[in-house]
Amino acid sequence: MRLQIVKRSEDPPKWLPIATSLGAVVLAFVISGGILAAVGADPLQIYRYFFRSAFGSWGAFSDVMVKATPLILIGLGCALAFRMKLWNIGAEGQFYIGAFFSSMVVMVPLVDVNTTPPIVTIGLMMLLGILGGALYGFIPGLLKAKFGINEIITTLMLNYVAVFWNNYWIFGRWSDAGFQMTPTFPRRVWLPRLADLAKQNPFFSGMTLHVGVIFGLIVAVVLWYIINKSRWGYKINLIGDNPKAARYAGIDIAKNIILVFMFSGALAGLAGMTEVSGVVHRLQERISTSYGFSGVIVAWLAKLDPFAVVLVSILFGALLVAGREIQPSGVSFLIQGTILFLVISSDVLMRYQIRLVNTKKASVEEAA
Amino acid sequence: MLVPTMSVTENILIGLDKPKLALNLKHYDEEVRHLAEQFGIRIDPSAKVWQLSVGEQQRVEILKILYRGARILVMDEPTAVLAPQEADELIATLKGMASQGKSIIFISHKLNEVQEVADRLTILRRGKATAEGIGLEGITRERLASLMVGREVIFNMHKVDREPGEVVLQLEQVSAVNNKNLPALKNVDLCLRAGEILGIAGVAGNGQSELVEVVTGLRECEGKIWLDGKDIANKPPQVSIGGGLAHIPEDRIGVGSAPNLSITKNVIMKNFESEPISHRWQVNYTEAGRHAAELKQKYDILAPSVETQARKLSGGNLQKLILARELSSAPHLIVAMQPTRGLDVGAIEAVQQLLLDQRETGCAILLVSEDLDELMALSDRIAVMYEGEVVGVVDGKEADLNTLGLMMTGSMRGPGSCPPEPAAAGSQEREG
Amino acid sequence: MKKTKLMLVILLVFALILGACQTTAPTAAPAGPATPVDCKAQTESETVGNYQVPAPVEGCFNVAFVYVGPHDDGGWSQAHDVGRQWVQDKVKDVHTAYVETVAEGVDAEQVTRSLARKGFDVIFTTSFGFMDATEAVATEFPDIDFIHVSGYKHNGSNFGNLMGAMENIKYLAGILAGSRAKMDGNTRLGYMATFPIPEELRLGNAFALGMQKTCPECTLDVRFINTWHDPIIEQEAAKSLFDSGVQVVMTGADTPAPAIAAPEGKWGITYDYIANCTLPTCLTTMYWNWGPLYAQIVEESRAGTYAGDARYFDGDAGGLGLYGFMEGEELMPGAKDLPEADLQMVRDLVAKMLAGEFTRFDVFTGPIKDNQGNEVLPEGKSLTQVELDCFANAADAPCAGLTGMYWWNENVTAELPK
Repeated sequence: MRLQIVKRSEDPPKWLPIATSLGAVVLAFVISGGILAAVGADPLQIYRYFFRSAFGSWGAFSDVMVKATPLILIGLGCALAFRMKLWNIGAEGQFYIGAFFSSMVVMVPLVDVNTTPPIVTIGLMMLLGILGGALYGFIPGLLKAKFGINEIITTLMLNYVAVFWNNYWIFGRWSDAGFQMTPTFPRRVWLPRLADLAKQNPFFSGMTLHVGVIFGLIVAVVLWYIINKSRWGYKINLIGDNPKAARYAGIDIAKNIILVFMFSGALAGLAGMTEVSGVVHRLQERISTSYGFSGVIVAWLAKLDPFAVVLVSILFGALLVAGREIQPSGVSFLIQGTILFLVISSDVLMRYQIRLVNTKKASVEEAA
Repeated sequence: MLVPTMSVTENILIGLDKPKLALNLKHYDEEVRHLAEQFGIRIDPSAKVWQLSVGEQQRVEILKILYRGARILVMDEPTAVLAPQEADELIATLKGMASQGKSIIFISHKLNEVQEVADRLTILRRGKATAEGIGLEGITRERLASLMVGREVIFNMHKVDREPGEVVLQLEQVSAVNNKNLPALKNVDLCLRAGEILGIAGVAGNGQSELVEVVTGLRECEGKIWLDGKDIANKPPQVSIGGGLAHIPEDRIGVGSAPNLSITKNVIMKNFESEPISHRWQVNYTEAGRHAAELKQKYDILAPSVETQARKLSGGNLQKLILARELSSAPHLIVAMQPTRGLDVGAIEAVQQLLLDQRETGCAILLVSEDLDELMALSDRIAVMYEGEVVGVVDGKEADLNTLGLMMTGSMRGPGSCPPEPAAAGSQEREG
Repeated sequence: MKKTKLMLVILLVFALILGACQTTAPTAAPAGPATPVDCKAQTESETVGNYQVPAPVEGCFNVAFVYVGPHDDGGWSQAHDVGRQWVQDKVKDVHTAYVETVAEGVDAEQVTRSLARKGFDVIFTTSFGFMDATEAVATEFPDIDFIHVSGYKHNGSNFGNLMGAMENIKYLAGILAGSRAKMDGNTRLGYMATFPIPEELRLGNAFALGMQKTCPECTLDVRFINTWHDPIIEQEAAKSLFDSGVQVVMTGADTPAPAIAAPEGKWGITYDYIANCTLPTCLTTMYWNWGPLYAQIVEESRAGTYAGDARYFDGDAGGLGLYGFMEGEELMPGAKDLPEADLQMVRDLVAKMLAGEFTRFDVFTGPIKDNQGNEVLPEGKSLTQVELDCFANAADAPCAGLTGMYWWNENVTAELPK
């Protein structure tokens, strides 16, 4: 018996991508479990706690959804860009700029926060967050469309620019008593969250899930519609599959590169806004625990499908929340890394088949 | 392949185990200079490769091979990237090498070069040798041309005589460069009327691809291109598509289709923004599917369903898909490049018949082909291109292989592009 | 489309599997209160060379700690972990657990709430940036006591804060450093401050005042590094201070960077953790001993008497130490050969401090002049508690109109932070 890796002549069956993704996740848990066992822990016990701290109660699930919210928004933005084969890995930067722009409303301030109706202030923050992210996506989009500059490099570098731009404001201009953060925003500009209902119903006490998650779900539906039903989505799919054919068909590729980059950036910017207004309630260093990069992974794992992005984000949110329970820390990153590594390598199965060849039998048949 | 940041000598030494330890470049510079002189190649061995012109870089490549003591040199289209003076120099070099006992296989599309440089000749057509190792003595260019393009299966096309209508397409003094920034079109004048097929004949690489790209808006140019009285030169493809231009591209997979998308999505590539396929911002995929199914039936595209990915279609069926898409838009002008290349006999006939049917409906067709028989069978007039120029236009009925061959090889010029215009409507319109 | 549906189904199945895990988990939990639980063994088996998930153990009094850095960071967080182990060892029937490397602001609230939900009885959050998060969670769980270390908020019921007068120790370290610099013949010293906040100016000034005792001609240079814990930045800052010709570097940040960066013949003074003064270039460490204070709060909480107060302990509480001068400790090589008179001065002050006769107010007692030539405090006058922790230059500061802490002692060569 021996294993043979053969190139697929036919398309892989439809269930295969899902099966391999899922298999990769399971295998990642098995491998991580092996490592845990090797250092003397009880992996089963840890996984049991792990799942309980992510899904064990509504409160825990609310925590998971809070983590999933920025991942959903960023993952969706990345999924759209990736469909056009635009490798936007600048979501981290677009997230920070979105957070910065929406913070301007309170910190500059652009409106009198205490007299303006909260819905106006929050609306303005959303608008500016979206605008900031879109503008920050516009830069690499323009460079790519007009000068053909590699967007992987520009977006990656712009991430650093955004982080340091943010630092300039929180270390200096907007610093709260010398710390690298702005003062806490007034409660009026916080995004409504479940915990606000705790007075009426104690069930919601401590549930920090905010309306940002609804934005995420709405965007997922909108994006599904764009990709599968709209003219724009058709153009994006066509450019993504064959830009030469798209140009031949009369589609303005440069314009669409810029538009998609801005859309992708806008979603990351909105994620930055929801994080600032819904979770942290101030602008500070490290408002993102690399959501921008996790979003890329999420989009990839979801095979660029908007609804799958939502589900994968929840899974990742669970991994983030539960993962930080294990002490000393770091195990969740081990599992995350293993999952990603395995999912990406499992892509080989899309293109190749693994066959078991019974050498003995084959030779017998030959002889006969 | 050369390394641009290294010197000529260093490039020549790459891959050899010659300089054992210390790299005494001076010594090797001298060796290379000596070798270059021996074959009459002008080159500075210490120059960096990025400083050299394309022609000089080619000399380095040749030197590299000579330095390794090669006795046979194979060159594939070596003059394609060269300016005429450089090409002359190259040919002189090659002759010098041959006289010193080297064997050279020189692959070229350009007959004049071949005649100039070769001692013996093999002609390949579709993977078969139509002439093997014949001497050049007494061979005419016409003979060469017919050996190259040959006699294909001749179909009896049902082609009705008809009076051509108004001018649909007119090119005035159009010039353009190719991807290597060398002149590919030189002051081309052409005109094409409704209900007429204008064939473009020529040996490959004489500017036909650039001509098609210029007309369809895929390449920048100088001069004017009138489509129904509107100048579409340097306008993006969407302008000419909107003006009723259909384009059957040379590269079906790379340009004409999106391989991983379905047949449906491929057939709506150009009309996905018009009713009833789409409404406002939304594409109606049910309607699109119906449209695709209709075309699949009408154009006899063999595929399991309209959801089949385009890349799974055979060459003939893919071409039918492209024709279905392009012809169903009721175009005024069809630009078709090599529409039958690589297809089987049945598909060829189908494609040719479709083009003739379009002619019947009053569509103007610009047909670029390397198959002279196809051109003669289909075209009302045939324009011959040579080195980016239209060297003459012949009437389709009067055309014969002899004249065409002479013109294709640049040995004869024919009459100008546009006959006196029967209807000046088009030109008046554009002046107004 | 089909793909989406299939994926949905599979993920649903996955979620169901997770659900099944939850329902089976409780039955697998350790035995109930009927059989006595060895709380200490429980903690040890979960932490020693192992991974653990912080979860309360039934039958024990459960105490959780939230750290900003790794539990073995060699500084601030490790000092707290030493405190946690003290509680585990010295308090009866207590089970302790920790969560480490929790980002300030982003994760703090979720982590703290998660511990509260699980049912811990007392939760210590040990970084300044955890303050608002701790307060928010404390209002949701009135039955759990929350103690925030180093902040200034408390609610009088279940949310209190805890901090100590490290300025005493910095003052003593200043005496030692001044003596060392004078003996080495280089009168320049350096201070790596973290953020431009009152605490860091207070600690720097205390050090500078101590220096003045043994070396009136010594000067102190200050660099703000804007981080509490960043091994790389800390080492670069220490190195740059040494390169600029400084003889002794004292730090306000976590890692033993000054000792690591010190070339032979120069000295670093480390911070926070008792056991991080290991290199021969380390003069001493100014450390926290949280254990006794934690133990006391845990006992009060179990008895139901803890009432969310603001505790600022001084030297007599046993929570502060200067390595080499406390009971059972030996002087580091760099301190051993200092003039006996100087060493005795430190020993005497340590003894007085432990006896409660030398406090933070004694450190900040006039005459004190700032480095602009103005008088800060006249002879015999002391700063008040509110002034120790406040910049008087801000109009809305609680100490507005008073002296406050927005000044540098006369031997500091740095400018005030903006």
